[in-house]
Amino acid sequence: MDADTFEVTERFRGATSIDLASQLAGIRESYSWDAIASTGYGRFLSQKVLGGEAATEIKAYATAAHRFHREIGTVIDLGGQDTKVLSIDRNNGQLLKFEMNDKCSAGTGKFFEMMAATLGLTLDELVAAALRGERSFEINSTCTVFAESEVISLLTSGRSVEDIARAVHESLLVKLVSLLSRILTADSASVLFVGGGARNGTLVKFLADALAKEVVVPEYPDFFGAYGAAMVAKNSLMRLG
Amino acid sequence: MGSMTPLFDDEYTDLPLKRALAQVLKSREAGAKVVGAYCSYAPVELVWAMGGVPAVLCAFSNASIPKAEETLPVNLCPLIKSSYGFIELKTCPFFEVTDAVVGETTCDGKKKMFELIEKKRPLHVLDLPQCPTREGAVEYWRHSINGFKKFLETSFDTVIGNEALEGAIRDTNRKNALVEKILAFGGQRPAVITWQEMYDVTTYAMVSNGEETVAKLEEIVAILAERREKRVFTSPEGAKRVLITGCPVGGDVLKVLKLVDEEGAAIVGLDSCTGLKAFAGRIEEGSGDPLMAIAKRYLEIPCACMTPNTGRMEVLKEQVDLLKPDLVIDLVLQSCHTYNVEAVKVESLVRNELGTNYLKIVTDFSSQDLGQLKTRIGAALEMC
Repeated sequence: MDADTFEVTERFRGATSIDLASQLAGIRESYSWDAIASTGYGRFLSQKVLGGEAATEIKAYATAAHRFHREIGTVIDLGGQDTKVLSIDRNNGQLLKFEMNDKCSAGTGKFFEMMAATLGLTLDELVAAALRGERSFEINSTCTVFAESEVISLLTSGRSVEDIARAVHESLLVKLVSLLSRILTADSASVLFVGGGARNGTLVKFLADALAKEVVVPEYPDFFGAYGAAMVAKNSLMRLG
Repeated sequence: MGSMTPLFDDEYTDLPLKRALAQVLKSREAGAKVVGAYCSYAPVELVWAMGGVPAVLCAFSNASIPKAEETLPVNLCPLIKSSYGFIELKTCPFFEVTDAVVGETTCDGKKKMFELIEKKRPLHVLDLPQCPTREGAVEYWRHSINGFKKFLETSFDTVIGNEALEGAIRDTNRKNALVEKILAFGGQRPAVITWQEMYDVTTYAMVSNGEETVAKLEEIVAILAERREKRVFTSPEGAKRVLITGCPVGGDVLKVLKLVDEEGAAIVGLDSCTGLKAFAGRIEEGSGDPLMAIAKRYLEIPCACMTPNTGRMEVLKEQVDLLKPDLVIDLVLQSCHTYNVEAVKVESLVRNELGTNYLKIVTDFSSQDLGQLKTRIGAALEMC
């Protein structure tokens, strides 16, 4: 990111691998920077290889949200292994409060991945199917593993893939709304939805309906934490003069 | 930090439980009966008064939980499961040397667990009234404590006289005042005492008493005063300050405290039963009714099992005022309903009245949630 204009100069997405350290070393060889910050679960490994500072994704999201969507005080991050909701002071960007899902994966993006695999669909196909589905039953299991066997038995009992895909979305939606209810205030007209999960257009639509609020998704929701980290790095650069 | 005088200069560096065990064994070899306890409500003055020694029983290891889960439900407080597992596995060295065990009815899981271990050792369960401000509560608690006295007298064929009780009360008061003084060094900025040292002190003081203990604690006060004067600090200037409140901590749940260390912050206070709570407050001396004096002090312990538990809010206010933390971490053990629900009030007090950041953590003794906890603690400290 260009520190003067906040223009993103390059987005680089690497596949998750078992040799993250050498991937990071590759980045170190190919790029140069004045300041760098790492965020996310791999932040400490990344910091070790690339230098600079490490910031939690919570701080990164709060920083980016205040820069790009100053009018919104509530942020949802639906990631692969956890879900977070943030409350931000709209006047100064200060993070007021955050909540996370418990250590179970059922309220996270991982849940969609596993359910798609169970139904023999790609993630995109699952999302598209859910939009066509009817809301006719619920998935009762709150656990990803049990939900998987529940989905299999729904399939064998003749339920349509579309309706099951819809129920999968509703199941996650309930958890998301419950987490949000801990921080959402009546005066928040809209919420910002980031993280890979925000690329799920069906979920975004369902969430907006459930909350009766506008759900804003940035152009690259899965890079939003990276923007925040870049801004954290920029702030440090400015502090150091 | 290289020239820092350690608080305990012995072979038990970083092994506070081994030091405590050595204390218990020393007393036992001198003829003292060992009475195992699980909780700060156990009125140990009765044990001291009969020439015995209390031993705080093992309850903080994940390693003993699989054994416990052969019998107990999985969805139970890890402290209870760990305690039970230790007893079944015979791996708690403290329990192995006890002559009797005292329990209490602080929580449902514990009191039913006690029923399962009653054959292992002579066991007495104190019935603890949980509405401490109600008429008759303290009288009933005195009655419960008297039951424990009779149990000890019968089990060990002894008599616990008022004079011996008064002596034990005086000892406790001297000891507790010193421990409080040591923990109050947490108020220094930058810090002059680490949480490991606080834990060393409280673990030692729970099983020690008398002149030797008072001398040791006075020595520690002097070491800390010297650190303060010579400006020898245990954390860097500007390190963020954290107060830990909530359920007791020890063993594997110290993971939370270690994560705070990793983030470069300083823990300046432990406001729980393995910290300040067991040593706060005094027992009235020379009252003429030492059992009543003991009953009054113990009923003032602000455990979340009490309703109302206004004492906890008062202590928190005092502690925040004294220690000036940037963040209060409310540590709740999984399935501890009372601390879990009381967190609502604690959060409101800390955030709204005291204007301090607050983070609630619900966890167990496993390491499964380390990654998530690191993010939560990291983010909460970034907010300060």
